[in-house]
Amino acid sequence: MLTQEEIYKKVSNTLVTALNVDEDEIQPGARLQNDLGAESIDFLDIVFRLEREFNIKIPRGELFPESIFQGDPDMVQDGKVTAKGLAELRSRMPYADLSKFESNPQVTAIGDLFTVELITKYVEGKLSK
Amino acid sequence: MLLKDQIALVTGGSRGIGRAIVKAFAQEGAKVGFVFRGNQEAADSLVKEVSEAGGTALAIQGDVADPGTAQKAIDAITQAWGGRLDILVNNAGVIRDALFVRMSEEDWRTVLSTNLDGAFRFCKAAADLMVFKQRSGRIINISSIAADHVNKGQTNYAASKGALNALTRCLALEVAGRGVTVNAIAPGFIETDMSEAVRNKAGDLIKKMIPVRRLGKPEDIAHLTVFLASPAASYITGQVLTVDGGLSLGVPDVG
Repeated sequence: MLTQEEIYKKVSNTLVTALNVDEDEIQPGARLQNDLGAESIDFLDIVFRLEREFNIKIPRGELFPESIFQGDPDMVQDGKVTAKGLAELRSRMPYADLSKFESNPQVTAIGDLFTVELITKYVEGKLSK
Repeated sequence: MLLKDQIALVTGGSRGIGRAIVKAFAQEGAKVGFVFRGNQEAADSLVKEVSEAGGTALAIQGDVADPGTAQKAIDAITQAWGGRLDILVNNAGVIRDALFVRMSEEDWRTVLSTNLDGAFRFCKAAADLMVFKQRSGRIINISSIAADHVNKGQTNYAASKGALNALTRCLALEVAGRGVTVNAIAPGFIETDMSEAVRNKAGDLIKKMIPVRRLGKPEDIAHLTVFLASPAASYITGQVLTVDGGLSLGVPDVG
């Protein structure tokens, strides 16, 4: 069974390869899109590599939920995620720490949730099952 | 040699524009696999020609309209030459000209399946290698000016090439960040089997319409294909480049 540190190291290596970034750019709080320059195709590559690296299966949309709110006005209002939307987010991403996001739930800031730490927590969860 | 040690795949490679591209690539140092549908003689003679000139070519039989052909072709190449695919040229194309009111479902389907779906499948099969494994690659789609400068009787052909142009732009955008460029070449009137019937019927009239006063040769297209496939073209992507001797500019005065 891998330790937390070992998991983080493997996740880090995966991101270095998938995103073609330097090792020292990988910090727990580094955001995939804004800090590491990831775009849609990179997210796909990350999922494939994590599956191979950790021998896990990542169903589509489980790690990086696609179109969480589907333009539902109950979930997003005036650019902010509603209470109902936050509940949906919590259920889709149980491994995520949403406390900071919840204090100012701008829908445009959802991308900031996807950090190195988030991925590590997700993998830890998958391996412990 | 502009394409030294690169691995290329050309569909519709045994004749016409495809044949010229295979030869040009081989001349520039690439190993070239090509797909041909039925003309075994043409395929064999091409392989012979290329090897006699010191190059390497591999003939792969298959119809690009068949779902399995793309993976079969890529497998043949990766097995023969070490697992890479650097350049894909979607050149295989057919016409089934008919006035729209007479056009059958089959006329429509055949042209769309070969010209568009075929390109889709080959791009898919190549994308995995180019985008994820290699982070480098060149995809070149052979389109036609007929997508925008249309001719009567070619609703199916024009639609297939117009769609191919759009696919080119969109795919280019998706994979640009990963070192893969995707471009299209739109030839004008080229001396190949495809244009033979029209050339026989229209004769010199066509030449009069072409500003540079000659029909295109397959080599005219091959030269640009070589350049787009080369490292020098890495900043060009999502473009449809016209090679037509000025035909699409307008009708020169015939008087």
